[in-house]
Amino acid sequence: MPSYTPDTTIKPVFNDFFGAFGGRYVAEVLRAPLEELEHEFKAAMVDPAFLADLATVHREYIGRPTPFLYARNASAALGGAQIYIKLEGLANTGAHKINNAAGQILLAKRMGKKRIIAETGAGQHGVATAAVCAKFGLPCTVYMGEVDIARQRPNVYLMELYGAKVVPVSSGSRTLKDAVNEALRDWAGSFADTHYLLGSALGPSPFPDMVREFQAFVGREVAQQAKGLDIAALIACVGGGSNSIGFFEPYLDKTTPRLIGVEAGGRGSGLGENAVRMGGDARPGVVQGYKSFFLLDDDGQVQDTHSVSAGLDYAGIGPQLAHLGQIGRVEFASALDSEVIEAVKFFARHEGVVFALESAHAGAYAMKLAPTLPKTRAIIINMSGRGDKDIFISAKIINPEPWIGFLKDEVESYERAQHPKENR
Amino acid sequence: MKTSLMAHLVAGYPTYEISLETARGLVAGGASFLEIQFPFSDPSADGPAIQAACTQALAAGFKVEDGWRLVAKVRGEFPMVPVFVMSYASIVVTKGVEAFVAQAKAGGVTGLIIPDLAPGADEGLAEAGKKHGVSIVPVIVPSVPASRLEKLLADEPEWVYTAIRAGITGVHTTLTPELKAFLSALNARTKVMAGFGIDSAQQVRDLATSAHTIVCGSALVRVVAAAFELGGITAVRPAVENKVLELLSPI
Repeated sequence: MPSYTPDTTIKPVFNDFFGAFGGRYVAEVLRAPLEELEHEFKAAMVDPAFLADLATVHREYIGRPTPFLYARNASAALGGAQIYIKLEGLANTGAHKINNAAGQILLAKRMGKKRIIAETGAGQHGVATAAVCAKFGLPCTVYMGEVDIARQRPNVYLMELYGAKVVPVSSGSRTLKDAVNEALRDWAGSFADTHYLLGSALGPSPFPDMVREFQAFVGREVAQQAKGLDIAALIACVGGGSNSIGFFEPYLDKTTPRLIGVEAGGRGSGLGENAVRMGGDARPGVVQGYKSFFLLDDDGQVQDTHSVSAGLDYAGIGPQLAHLGQIGRVEFASALDSEVIEAVKFFARHEGVVFALESAHAGAYAMKLAPTLPKTRAIIINMSGRGDKDIFISAKIINPEPWIGFLKDEVESYERAQHPKENR
Repeated sequence: MKTSLMAHLVAGYPTYEISLETARGLVAGGASFLEIQFPFSDPSADGPAIQAACTQALAAGFKVEDGWRLVAKVRGEFPMVPVFVMSYASIVVTKGVEAFVAQAKAGGVTGLIIPDLAPGADEGLAEAGKKHGVSIVPVIVPSVPASRLEKLLADEPEWVYTAIRAGITGVHTTLTPELKAFLSALNARTKVMAGFGIDSAQQVRDLATSAHTIVCGSALVRVVAAAFELGGITAVRPAVENKVLELLSPI
């Protein structure tokens, strides 16, 4: 078996600000813990022992490197550029989120923290965090909005199976942003012994830098796996931006290939109908500790968003992506909920891979872009997550009747088992 | 000497009219200062009582201009009661830091308390405050490193708000001798507002000699919520008046 070692020759960079965006806009109480985190993060990333531990976790636990698939059938069907798919969804726990969770839990151990807290939207970050907490023996509390709990019950089940405590958040819009607030509130009182394992490349510095560094292993693998290809574009979905920034990382300071972030177009245009920040109605603001583009009203109140994918259903975008968008290095597009469902079906039938609804936004855009490019060129999609987690959402859209029938039968058979006498 | 209490209310909670009634009751009870919070959708430093009040005010249609309207009304009725406006960065930055501060000055506001625009990362808030003659009140915690505290005090803020424990608003705080010593030392150098978890007369008396002004927030918001639920609009004013009287009562 070939031994695998992540490429750690690229030095981590601590930016704090990315052009006009980023920073650390927090109440005084969180200043000291964030400074401690910045200090430890910088020290860890040049410590060979830490990096060796991380490499072991990558190899033994996450399953790195993840495969790089030549999508031959999809490419032929679309009749343009050759499509390649980074199968990041084959990482343990089903998405790229585990890369960051693993990096940060090693950091938390290094700092001597005794407890982990996290926020989650779709639940993928919560599942990844709960898993590494089980693996490394730290108690874990995950904050999750009541709305997200209702639509992502399978992930709640998994988190609890890993031993995490899932705390429903009933404030505000009861989604991801409110879960972040609740985690920040917990941390403001618990930072002495608790690490806040934030899951996206946003929030107060150093989180955007730290999450990018822990996700950059994805992009660095791609750079190796794609050697020899004439890459026209890299395409990733963008919610907060953790998978895209890690996927794009090796190419950020180059002028090619095109880097394309695909946002949630939801049901279409209009505030509240989508989660389009970079190509939409967002404005610069300071929310949840960082400066970036947010969907805000004229008073600065954060607006509700909509997406079929809970993981992209967020009003802000990571500050580095906001900056890269502003300077034109990263292009932004969006995909509608309906296009996303078509992309899930297309790649399932042509390639035998099921994209997560989030990642299928990238797939949907690739389906539009590929036919416009010559066959000699390549485009690479990051399948940041696999779609198993979505079956309770996608099945009732794609093939509702048998699925609803199945759910009814399940409930009935459960109730029969609970009350055997009544049914005799 | 009368104990100086800053009483907090959420503008527009549960409605604009009732928040005005709340202000009247707080002053009648003997509050020396009012802290009027402009609701923000994501109040990450606040506990459940104030969060819920902000959410409800926004659901009822609160706009920032309603906050200024409330401030003007309160200042007009009670010119001897200084008003501080508390809110979050997003509200201030979206309106434009300079424009927000100018508006505060025009409305007769004494100072602004914006916890997530701390000195050094404040988008020009301190500078705008100096320019327009509005006190910008830094919010600190007793665990603040000495070097950071000295840096904050070097700007010679007229007021410093001390959140007397880590965490969020609305959880009862136990007062230790160390805390009182910290506050007293700081109070010798600037005017200290001390708050977070103040809900009893015992705490107010206990802190009265260590800080210039004691702040009560969530406990009053809970009184508003309970009174409104049980007795409707007319119940709120006497209820908050009684609560302030209770907080300021001698043994």
